[in-house]
Amino acid sequence: MDEEPERAKRWEGGYERTCCVSSFPGLLWNMFHPQGGVCVFSHGQVRLGMMRHVYVVIDCSRSMEDQDLKPNRLTSTLKLMEVFVDEYFDQNPISQVGIITTKNKRAEKLTDLAGNPKKHITALKKAVDTVCVGEPSLYNSLNLAIQTLKHMPGHTSREILIILSSLTTCDPANIYELIKTLKSLKVRVSVIGLSAEVRVCTVLTRETGGSYHVILDESHFKELLMLHIKPPPASSSSECSLIRMGFPQHTIASVTDQDAKPSFSMSHLDSSSGPGLSLGGYLCPQCHATYTELPVECKVCGLTLVSAPHLARSFHHLFPLQAFVESPVENLQGDRFCQACQAELKDKSMFSCPSCHSVFCVECDLFIHESLHCCPCCIYCQTVP
Amino acid sequence: MASEDEINLLVIVVDVNPIWWGQQAQRDPQFTLSKCMDAVMVMGNAHMAMARTNKLAVIASHCQGSHFLYPSKSWSGEDGGGNDVSSSGDGKYELLSAANNLIVEEIRNIMSKIEVTGNSTDTLLAGSLAKALCYIHRLTKELEVGQEIKSRILVVKAAEDCALQYMNFMNVIFAAQKQNILIDACVLDSDSGLLQQACDITGGLYMKIPQKVALAQYLLWVFLPDSEQRSQLVLPPPAHVDYRAACFCHRNLIEIGYVCSVCLSIFCNFSPICTTCETAFKIQLPQIVKPKKKKLKQPM
Repeated sequence: MDEEPERAKRWEGGYERTCCVSSFPGLLWNMFHPQGGVCVFSHGQVRLGMMRHVYVVIDCSRSMEDQDLKPNRLTSTLKLMEVFVDEYFDQNPISQVGIITTKNKRAEKLTDLAGNPKKHITALKKAVDTVCVGEPSLYNSLNLAIQTLKHMPGHTSREILIILSSLTTCDPANIYELIKTLKSLKVRVSVIGLSAEVRVCTVLTRETGGSYHVILDESHFKELLMLHIKPPPASSSSECSLIRMGFPQHTIASVTDQDAKPSFSMSHLDSSSGPGLSLGGYLCPQCHATYTELPVECKVCGLTLVSAPHLARSFHHLFPLQAFVESPVENLQGDRFCQACQAELKDKSMFSCPSCHSVFCVECDLFIHESLHCCPCCIYCQTVP
Repeated sequence: MASEDEINLLVIVVDVNPIWWGQQAQRDPQFTLSKCMDAVMVMGNAHMAMARTNKLAVIASHCQGSHFLYPSKSWSGEDGGGNDVSSSGDGKYELLSAANNLIVEEIRNIMSKIEVTGNSTDTLLAGSLAKALCYIHRLTKELEVGQEIKSRILVVKAAEDCALQYMNFMNVIFAAQKQNILIDACVLDSDSGLLQQACDITGGLYMKIPQKVALAQYLLWVFLPDSEQRSQLVLPPPAHVDYRAACFCHRNLIEIGYVCSVCLSIFCNFSPICTTCETAFKIQLPQIVKPKKKKLKQPM
């Protein structure tokens, strides 16, 4: 028990990473513009897991009917999960998510690992009606997740996020053995607790290198969920490999084209709304199967199909924007205007970009770092020799 | 009909690269920068005249920076809203003529102050688009309770794309898509792959004008209606956007390629080391079977 206070301190202080993190050599990278051209950028420090396979385990036991989160814990969790899924695919377009629910000492898959947000959101909306009964089973849900995750290629990051509200878990076997298996499979498990700290979760997250937090209120819950959207640093032992991908062309054919042949979209063959015949779509370069949306894994030949902007969406994780330097407005001589939005600088502090020394107001600084990820004035400085 | 409280903001980004316009004046004296600015002002006036609550902003983009032509910092501080104008007739006319004079004066200032270094004929649009987004963000924050704002950006592009800005450009496009801001493009000379992608991703219109002298007509016909009205009009069909990526080694457009899982660079052939981030890849080698040593036959 002597080690308990120390563990509690370390846990309260933030999550610790037991995986080591390697850094890129300190060089300027020459990055080719996918449509021809050269961009020069400075490097990021840390290798990130860009292609992620995340299983989210949602506890559906009796404790989820508690009304400390309005209207009850389950509804609140499912609503936040919808927001999570949207943001997740926005920031990680080539990654996949799957959802597992656990109740009555069993675990079952709500949705399989997929890269399409719509499926998950419909399933989450339907899940609001589930009856919360029984006890959750950590062992069964982790086991279920491992069945699929262990087949995933080594260069992807394998993660499990557990939202646990119950203080108990009912496991058919020794969970510490399972933790050893998780560690050997390099799966990172993180837990968000809705009630209180549970020792087995602390051990689980510490051993696998994940994070463990307990929520204070609903807004804290949202913050904690959003923390898991950023790609985690890749452990040095994760493999790096070249992934074969296809970049399909989008064909838009009209009925008047003589060569236009209608075809079934492969992605809708499984859906109950019936396959739709369409004239255009994305053609897989290997087998010419038609798909209506990207990114998708071709069902016929197994090739991952993406478009260049999908990869571009992840670039801002690899090349993050530097933080701006805060300084008092009085230091500025002459006109006091924000160079991005042209507003007068009324606040006491202003922010300046360390590379181009342009001045921005508080609102623009927030907007630039959260949404834009690029300084509006730096681009002009790059061309000056 | 749009409700009275809905503000429609149009930001026009004009490419005023002085080298391109100088060459253009020599190629075709009928269509010069002043004619282009006339057409842009007609478009701006028409937009502001469509509804009382419409707002306008004009940004000039050139190789060394981007500059807000309207509303300008040195103006009296009234926004182009017209919310405090009681009578529609005279007030609107004054507003339009004030806006026009301001734009003309500012563009004159800019063109006289630009120092042309080098002969870059590229356009650095990403910076101007980023400023436009910040301006839109600021106006959205300054709304009163109950007001809604719908914004779109119209880009009038003259010179060619600059490849250096690919990353910034894509970041700006994704930010615009998230904020539901349309980006329309009116291209005067050469097709721009970046703008085609921008229009496709954000849901705007891309058009390369066949005749430059008729710029005002195209602007009013195609780009004046806002997104709700566009569904009821027959507009030019969407351009075919090439989303294929180019490999980093030869810059060829490829349909199937290999992507490094660490830095997301694209290659056309398998190679054991990524040239961008210098990570060695784990290659699945087939099992090598050692050939059995055969005794050499002694020559007789």
